[in-house]
Amino acid sequence: MNIMQALSIPFLLGGFFFFLAATVGLLRFPDFYTRLHATGKGDTLAVLLSLIGLSVYEGFSFTAVKILFIAVFMFLAQPTSTHAISRAAMRCGLKPWVKK
Amino acid sequence: MDNFFLWLGMGLFFLVLLCLYRGVFGPGVLNRVAAISAIGTKTLVILLIMGYIYQRVDMFVDISMVYALLNFLGTITVAKYLEMSGEI
Amino acid sequence: MTRLTDDIIIRAVARIMIPFIQIYALYVIMHGHHSPGGGFQGGVILGASFILYLITHGLEEARARMSELKAGIFSASGLLIYSGIGLLCLILGSNFLDYGRLSLILKVIPAQARSLGILGVEIGVGITVMAVMFSIFFDISTGGIIPEDEEIKEENG
Repeated sequence: MNIMQALSIPFLLGGFFFFLAATVGLLRFPDFYTRLHATGKGDTLAVLLSLIGLSVYEGFSFTAVKILFIAVFMFLAQPTSTHAISRAAMRCGLKPWVKK
Repeated sequence: MDNFFLWLGMGLFFLVLLCLYRGVFGPGVLNRVAAISAIGTKTLVILLIMGYIYQRVDMFVDISMVYALLNFLGTITVAKYLEMSGEI
Repeated sequence: MTRLTDDIIIRAVARIMIPFIQIYALYVIMHGHHSPGGGFQGGVILGASFILYLITHGLEEARARMSELKAGIFSASGLLIYSGIGLLCLILGSNFLDYGRLSLILKVIPAQARSLGILGVEIGVGITVMAVMFSIFFDISTGGIIPEDEEIKEENG
């Protein structure tokens, strides 16, 4: 195991941790907006960390560049889709949850 | 390192199963869409990890790219449809 | 009917993304020999980029970029490329879609002629799949009613 492969392990474990946090948020939060808050932010960071870790593991090659390209794509696409679906919910008249 | 990827992939698969609970039982269509989007994001990473396990990353990276694109397009389309129909 | 989205974020992100998606689709068509992909898959990605444009920018602007007439012409011309290459092989004296004989007019060795012939067929399949996917989505989103027809009907009473 060389230095690049060892360097990728913290990134991958960090990505897994944020995936776990986003999933717990999706399961446990009280209403739609809070659940979307958890998955929107958590999944974006987690997928960025995981893809950076995988491209560091790959080293200098064309495949690593393509993995980084997926990371840039997800960095644009994930917040946009979260925004679109929360906007649709707002337009449909879904009220945010308030603590009684 | 192969064992590490195997355990990481299995962990992500377990997280996909947990998200699937919200996708099946979640109240309303919006919760289901959020859960499906989260499952798609995890599947993208699982595909790349499968590529490292099978030693064919150059193939799996293309599939993963298309999966990300179609996941984004599907979520945007469902959001647009719900916004136009005006009811949940 | 799909209206123009009055949301600046989704429109801006789609405007940034669509050219890169189309370049990736062309890469998938061209690189189909060595990686997963080929004509059908690349055509689907190319059609998905047009569908993304229709969803985010509305029906009117999408019709200005790619009308039903253009989609029909593209789907027919893709099929013409496919069957034209096949018939060219037939004319040159071998079986339908047997690309080895294309070496007579391309002036290369038969193995290279096979590779080029497959590439031409993949390009034809990609164009057809793109046009047909866009046309199906277009028909679904208008519900079969073309806006020009409605205007003409209203004018006539």
